[in-house]
Amino acid sequence: MTDDTASTIQLAGSAIKYVVLAVGAVIMVFPFIWMIIASLMTAGEIQLRPPVWFPAVPQFNNYTELPEKVPLLRLYFNSIFTSGIIVFGVLLSSSLAGFAFAKYRFPGRDFLFYLILATMMIPFFVTLIPVFFIVRQLGWYDTYQGLVVPGLTSAYGIFLMRQFMITLPDELIDAARIDGASELRIFMRIIVPLVKPALATLGTFTFIASWNNFLWPLLVLSNRELFTLPLGINTMKSLYSDNTNLLMAGTAVSVIPMLIVFIFLQRYFIQGIALTGLKG
Amino acid sequence: MSSHAAKSAWWMPDIPKSALMRRRIVWAYAFVAAPIVALLIFLLGPILFSGWVSLHRWDMLSPVDQMPWRGLKNYSYLLTTDPVFLKSLGNTFMFAIGGVGTNTILGLGIALLLNSRIRGRTIWRVLYFMPVVTAPMALAVMFSFIFDRNFGVVNNILTAIGLPRQPFLSGIDQSLMTLVFIAVYQYVGYYIVIFLAGLQGIPQDYYDAAQVDGAGKLQEFRFITLPLLRPVMLFVVVTNTIGALQVFDLVFATTGGAPANSSMTVVLYMYNTAFKFSRMGRASAMAFILFAIIMVITLIQVRLLQDRTYTD
Repeated sequence: MTDDTASTIQLAGSAIKYVVLAVGAVIMVFPFIWMIIASLMTAGEIQLRPPVWFPAVPQFNNYTELPEKVPLLRLYFNSIFTSGIIVFGVLLSSSLAGFAFAKYRFPGRDFLFYLILATMMIPFFVTLIPVFFIVRQLGWYDTYQGLVVPGLTSAYGIFLMRQFMITLPDELIDAARIDGASELRIFMRIIVPLVKPALATLGTFTFIASWNNFLWPLLVLSNRELFTLPLGINTMKSLYSDNTNLLMAGTAVSVIPMLIVFIFLQRYFIQGIALTGLKG
Repeated sequence: MSSHAAKSAWWMPDIPKSALMRRRIVWAYAFVAAPIVALLIFLLGPILFSGWVSLHRWDMLSPVDQMPWRGLKNYSYLLTTDPVFLKSLGNTFMFAIGGVGTNTILGLGIALLLNSRIRGRTIWRVLYFMPVVTAPMALAVMFSFIFDRNFGVVNNILTAIGLPRQPFLSGIDQSLMTLVFIAVYQYVGYYIVIFLAGLQGIPQDYYDAAQVDGAGKLQEFRFITLPLLRPVMLFVVVTNTIGALQVFDLVFATTGGAPANSSMTVVLYMYNTAFKFSRMGRASAMAFILFAIIMVITLIQVRLLQDRTYTD
């Protein structure tokens, strides 16, 4: 009898758990669903009173006609190209510098490392005006290099890689040196394979940050040929202020591929975040 | 620091003598050279330059060596006379308090649910995490439409169930709270994942022992989960506060600070001051005021949330 009540309570408890989680999940997914539904409506249906909740006939031409009006391929190319270079630059510079800080002795090492720790705490908005000024003085306004070069190094990346590499045993490196391996070869053949999980995490974070970055491209680019996806959405926002259906179609095309990549790789994203979160 | 340098002074590790060692030093410098130069040009130099600019009047067009000196006038103007700056500072605090509080409570709450015996943990986590990887710009566009005064689906639902329509982002009393909602929507999945990892790091033994002693669920939460979660809590509160105080994209792309500056935030106001009105000195002073505030708040949070086992 008491066992029965206990298990009923437990059952009710777990039912409540699922209900709470489901309500939360519906709120999380709804904006994406609504974006897709609205993207299939006509401009008139969106403004109808009383409102309609579904398009009478799904307007797939909102999507098929999109490439004529918005240079989607160009936006994707620019985003992939610039984010790719930034990820490559951050991984290379962070792992090389992290390696030197973790495994070499050289005069000024600790001083330089403290310097890097200090720069980690500088928020972007404090350096925004001078960096913009420098980029313009270099003649890089409205160029790929202006967009990319300031992001090629990351103090946080150097710190993260150094923390990972310092845990690697020195004997591995010494053994390779005895075998006559050069320093570069040691880095490429021994260190890099051992820190792959850390590189994957740093690469993922850097990629998301750069892919979604809005303020810096907004400042440094004016030529639409160079625009990245977030700037493209911003342009569509003013272009389609009266055609929300088209704006939603354009936004959907800009975010859904990234979401699909995330769903396939979610395990790595989430492990990486848990890892750095607990380290920090 | 690594074991090599254990005995040497921090500014000068003992210098090894052999040619082999010297060649390694050259390699080490080669490895750090490019990143250090880049950080000098794009971080350290700029922050010093920015401090210098904040003491001047500058439109970025006139030569750097001819900026008129203003001393601390930019700072005193902002802190005593500029109503928009003080308003934006207040808004930014409200935004951060609302966002960090909600993210922490919801994040921990949902993480606790996901940490209990539950089916489909991965699927739940993916659903809650989706907005984290979505561009803030895209979310801003989606939510501007969802909360639209005339055609927004939230207002359509309110009408359908017989409630009055709300202005949300376009209402003086509602714009900031709506932005907090969107920001929580955007980042709560991230904090769920962090809290969940923290919860999974607490050894089951503690809970077993507590059950033997007859502790209830609430007592377990109060005396085991919360204290052991303190480092994770610190991380969540500090990073979330630092991030929230710098909010830009979301506000820029939804309200632009309107109506009547009711949702103006410091970084957006700084951006406008610098790049719309070409007042680089005043904008740099704003940046330094916010930077100082962020550092003070971070220090206070670290003090309050640090492990106090030995001081209690």
